[in-house]
Amino acid sequence: MAVVDAGAPALADQPMAPRRRGWARGLEIVVPATVLGILAVACFLGPLVLPIPDPIGGNVLESYLPSFSPGHLLGTDPNGNDILARILHGGQSSLTVALAVNLLGLLVGGTLGALSGFAGGITDTVIMRLLDVLIAFPSLVLTLAVAQSLGPSQTNTILALAFFSVPAFARVSRAATLRLRELPFMAAAGLCGTPVRRVLLRHVAPNIAPQLITFAMLGMGIVIVIEGALSFLGLGIPPPAPSWGNMIAQGQQSLSATPMLVVWPSVALFVTVLAFNLLGESLRARWSRQ
Amino acid sequence: MTAVVDEGPPASLAARLVASPSLRLIGKRLLTAVPILLGVSVLSFWVLNLIPGNAAQQLLGAEATPEQVRALELRLGLDEPAVSRYLSWLGGALTGDLGASLVSDQPVTELLWSHLAVSGELVLLAFLISLGLAIPVALLAAYKPNSLFDRISMIVSISGLSVANYVLALLLVLVFAVQLAMFPAIGFVPLGESVGDNLRSLALPASAIAFPLFCFYTRFLRGDLVDQLQGEDYIVTARAKGIGPWQVLLRHAFRNSTFGLITVVGLNLGTLIGATVITEQIFALPGLGQLMLQAINSRDFVVVQACVVVFAVVAVGANLLADLLYAVLDPRIRYGSR
Repeated sequence: MAVVDAGAPALADQPMAPRRRGWARGLEIVVPATVLGILAVACFLGPLVLPIPDPIGGNVLESYLPSFSPGHLLGTDPNGNDILARILHGGQSSLTVALAVNLLGLLVGGTLGALSGFAGGITDTVIMRLLDVLIAFPSLVLTLAVAQSLGPSQTNTILALAFFSVPAFARVSRAATLRLRELPFMAAAGLCGTPVRRVLLRHVAPNIAPQLITFAMLGMGIVIVIEGALSFLGLGIPPPAPSWGNMIAQGQQSLSATPMLVVWPSVALFVTVLAFNLLGESLRARWSRQ
Repeated sequence: MTAVVDEGPPASLAARLVASPSLRLIGKRLLTAVPILLGVSVLSFWVLNLIPGNAAQQLLGAEATPEQVRALELRLGLDEPAVSRYLSWLGGALTGDLGASLVSDQPVTELLWSHLAVSGELVLLAFLISLGLAIPVALLAAYKPNSLFDRISMIVSISGLSVANYVLALLLVLVFAVQLAMFPAIGFVPLGESVGDNLRSLALPASAIAFPLFCFYTRFLRGDLVDQLQGEDYIVTARAKGIGPWQVLLRHAFRNSTFGLITVVGLNLGTLIGATVITEQIFALPGLGQLMLQAINSRDFVVVQACVVVFAVVAVGANLLADLLYAVLDPRIRYGSR
């Protein structure tokens, strides 16, 4: 992963790649990144700035209001809570959980993978075999069991999901480190007697970071879906606190009468996950071109 | 592709079996699967034991007297240390005895078999639907990269990958069960009762699982095919011989892409478990996922432990099978080229 200029010659290697000008290729990254930025601002700042009601403690007399009602843009749920407010607050917890899980996974998994790839030999074998066990483990099952016994909470969800995101990050990090190990500057660092800690921090980490961050973008989408699934099953964010998953579960009970209760949080989920997937894919394409 | 390799002078069957590279690979892979499965069983046992609270107390509820709790603990063997409990569980598991459900007292193996069939059929149908659609779509897309069809199929597949399966399941119920009334929204008809009704009851859940898979396989296969068509020497050779584009795509590129596809399908089978848990819950199907969710909610840890192991066996087994198929199909491995 030496730093290579990402100019026009890269395109020449790909005769079948769509011929787009520089700005159009940039769009693949800018558009999803902007959408995510808007979503994050809306979820975290929106409730503070915009005149929307609280996500809980609504008036039951105002329940099941249709979308585009005055004062309730997306209508209200069976408890008379404003759906837009719940979507924005639910987005806060989805984004927080996804970010925390991926940061933890990236740091722990990334370190383990880099150590494993750099050290090789018995260290490598032991770490990777242990991680193989985690990969074969049906993680949702364990997450559900832990959530059921410890009681559903945001912290438990984060810890359980982070635990199982470690092996995937470790694999990506190990593969990247192995490729790196062949390069001259690594040999030079070794010959200079640079301490292992310093090599890992100063030489390996900055070079494998792009791949790990790209992978984390795809991971964000995955975690948001899984967190939704846990909340959907009633083992994630506990109601009445809003989350997209428990809003969908609540809407499921009156699916035929008021489908919009399911549709709105589903749309929020879809747009967010799609933006993360598109961003991850474009970043990946960009790095693999280099 | 079909090079005939002279295998030298005929040896005895036993000697040839020992020397067979594919069999060696099979043996090696089986050996690595054993510690993984042991690791999974230890980890799950440990975690389920780690969970705070007294299992016997929780099963009996808050009103139970200490004597009742003590009696149940003795009956379940909860007074023994965790290591000896694990070893006796492992001994039982190896001889096909997974204990009895804490709630219903039924043997766990019986429960597993009755629920496994439903999940198995569901997953099989999902695979048939997804692969049956993905292969032709990917071939058409790769036939002319960046054509309108290719672009549309890529947009559909990346959007499809962003839809959560529970959302998709509810969407399918809303359209096909509520609005159009074509399929039942919930319930399951066993295969033995009526094949048609059985398929109708599984149509929506299988589609909900199949659609994301279809998107994933289409993307994967299309990418692999295009890479091969662009870069591989044998494609250039085939084209130079004057073979038509469809022939090159089907007989040369696709045959090679099946290797990658097999690996991916094997890996997917392990992750499908998550999808079945939620889908079975939404459609009220009596499968493994539902069994496990009920067991988790009623704190029936014997059943949960058994389910975890079954899921891990399926995941590891699917990977193993993919590796073996790979070995059987790839002549370089079959004939052990060095």
